[in-house]
Amino acid sequence: MVSSIKGRTSGFRLAWDTAIILLLFFVWIFASITTENFLTAINVSQVFSNLSEIMIIAYPLTLLIISGEIDLSIASMLGLSSCMLGWTYLQGASIYLAILVAVLTGTLCGFVNGLLVMKVGLGSLAVTIGTLALYRGIAQGLLGEQTVNEFPEFWTSFGFDTVGTTFMPQTLPLVMISGIIFGLLMHRTPFGRRTFAIGQGVDSARFAGVNVVRHKIWLFALTGLMSGVAGVIYTFRFSTAQPDNAIGLELLVISACLLGGVSIFGGVGTMWGVVSGALLAGSVESWLTLREIQAQWRTIVTGVLLLLSVAAPVLANRIKTIRERARQT
Amino acid sequence: MSRFSGLLRGREFSLALILVVAIGITGTINPRFLTGDGTRDLLTATAIVALLTIGMTPIVIMRHIDLSVASTVGLTAWLLADYSAKNPGTNALTMFILGPLIGLGAGLLNGVLVAGLRLPALVVTIGTLYIIRGIAYVVSNSVDYNAQEMPQDLLELQFKTYFGLIPFTFMLVIIGVILVGWYMKYTKAGRDCYAIGSNPPAADLAGINVFRRTFVAFLFSGFMAGLGGVFYIIRFAQVDSTAFYGQELGIVAAVVIGGVAIFGGAGTPVGAAIGALLVQTIQGALAALGVAPFWKQAINGTLLIIAIYVDRVIARRSEKSLLAQRIRERA
Repeated sequence: MVSSIKGRTSGFRLAWDTAIILLLFFVWIFASITTENFLTAINVSQVFSNLSEIMIIAYPLTLLIISGEIDLSIASMLGLSSCMLGWTYLQGASIYLAILVAVLTGTLCGFVNGLLVMKVGLGSLAVTIGTLALYRGIAQGLLGEQTVNEFPEFWTSFGFDTVGTTFMPQTLPLVMISGIIFGLLMHRTPFGRRTFAIGQGVDSARFAGVNVVRHKIWLFALTGLMSGVAGVIYTFRFSTAQPDNAIGLELLVISACLLGGVSIFGGVGTMWGVVSGALLAGSVESWLTLREIQAQWRTIVTGVLLLLSVAAPVLANRIKTIRERARQT
Repeated sequence: MSRFSGLLRGREFSLALILVVAIGITGTINPRFLTGDGTRDLLTATAIVALLTIGMTPIVIMRHIDLSVASTVGLTAWLLADYSAKNPGTNALTMFILGPLIGLGAGLLNGVLVAGLRLPALVVTIGTLYIIRGIAYVVSNSVDYNAQEMPQDLLELQFKTYFGLIPFTFMLVIIGVILVGWYMKYTKAGRDCYAIGSNPPAADLAGINVFRRTFVAFLFSGFMAGLGGVFYIIRFAQVDSTAFYGQELGIVAAVVIGGVAIFGGAGTPVGAAIGALLVQTIQGALAALGVAPFWKQAINGTLLIIAIYVDRVIARRSEKSLLAQRIRERA
């Protein structure tokens, strides 16, 4: 009985993913009719460029949410990595070493989250609210009011320029390749299947021989790693390392995941859904910008999209149940 | 049962003890901290957060969360300032009536979504956090208000103190803590909240109206956030659309440090308010010690993690003692 209910929800969730993709195409068509510049190279490039960090963090976070945990400290890990990058470079280290330090910082932070949640046994929501403040605080303690903005030209152009003469921002290949890797990891490997198994039922996964503790620590560390990578990109894209980089980004990343049909309760979600969720949010925002609609409205739109993404599947499901019940009687 | 409530009382007691120690240490380093001025400063600075923790406590006890309160404070504060700027004769009483009413609107929205549609509170209130802040951005149109556009009798409340020590706003917090603390402990509705937080399906089966309790808790949180908007004006006498931006997690932190279990079922408004005071005191202590203000957030985070850890240890211990008790009763 329980499994049949689960099956039904996941079936519907799949439909939700497709609905989001359709909605995305609809928005693209609508936007290119109502504005002149939407489907131009420069604008598409802008949309992708703005989404770089959000998507890069959303990939591992999707796995983490599916496993039934959450990480609210992602933006702080990004900020801390960015500061470590700037700080190490300021000490006279080579840029490669600085990048390595930044990525390792992110990984370490994620690992600490994982230890606190899985080994010490604290709730991930509360812990990562704590580490959100902690990591951001370390970044502030490290750099204070300083900002580092002297980076080698080659790297800052990496964050800004396009590949050759195409419209693709140079960050896009990285975003796409990591997306493909995480997509395959999630949908085509035992690792991914274990993640879903844990999300659907921790106890049964444990009985089936999954090392839940180790698996989830891996997921936290992966989330940290990708937040570190996003920190590097963010730093070069804006060519600044400062403590309040990407403050508040965590909610945008989580919105992208949920909009893409990942269940906040775990166990359900797809990578293409998340990618289209992020693209949808980015495209709507871009459309609002092109229509010269006040920037203020964008905050409301983000909120409404997020609410819709949780409300729509639940409501549709309930209507379905009521209808089925009516048919049975 | 008595043992369990004894444990809870122990938690508030130990928190108060830590608070006293923190105040003592700070006082020895910086004697100004212990003077009337120092105390007033501390209480004034804590009032808004402490007020919001009272509203948040029942929600967290029921395993929900309300992240939209900071946005509601900001929107309410701006709307109130706007109203008084456009109606020059406005007095403090009107503000105290209008503020909570605006807050109730936000609470109603959250209540319908969380209690009515049974959507996860975390996601819903992140959504309403954006929406309410977005509304503040849109209606404000980048207009700010300063002291001269606000009711003077409201601003004068900033200097009003009781017994020469307790600022007006903090007095309201104390009254709120007593009322809500009593309500949570001695009324059926209050006890229902703990039952719901301990085991939601069991509470439902036991005939508790989960919908109504959840709905009212969100309404109440909105109400308090609206009142928080009035407090904001009293404290800062200056409002723009980013007022109180990003403060929501600080409130959750204070609630959790104050011993309200994030998994629900335990905690009191008294503890939560002490939690808010403790955070503020430790900040003050560190400033007195000469720690750079940049480390403030890092320390906040560490405190929160320690608090969650202590919670966990206490929960495990009480679980064990309850189990032992049951085994003894069986034997």
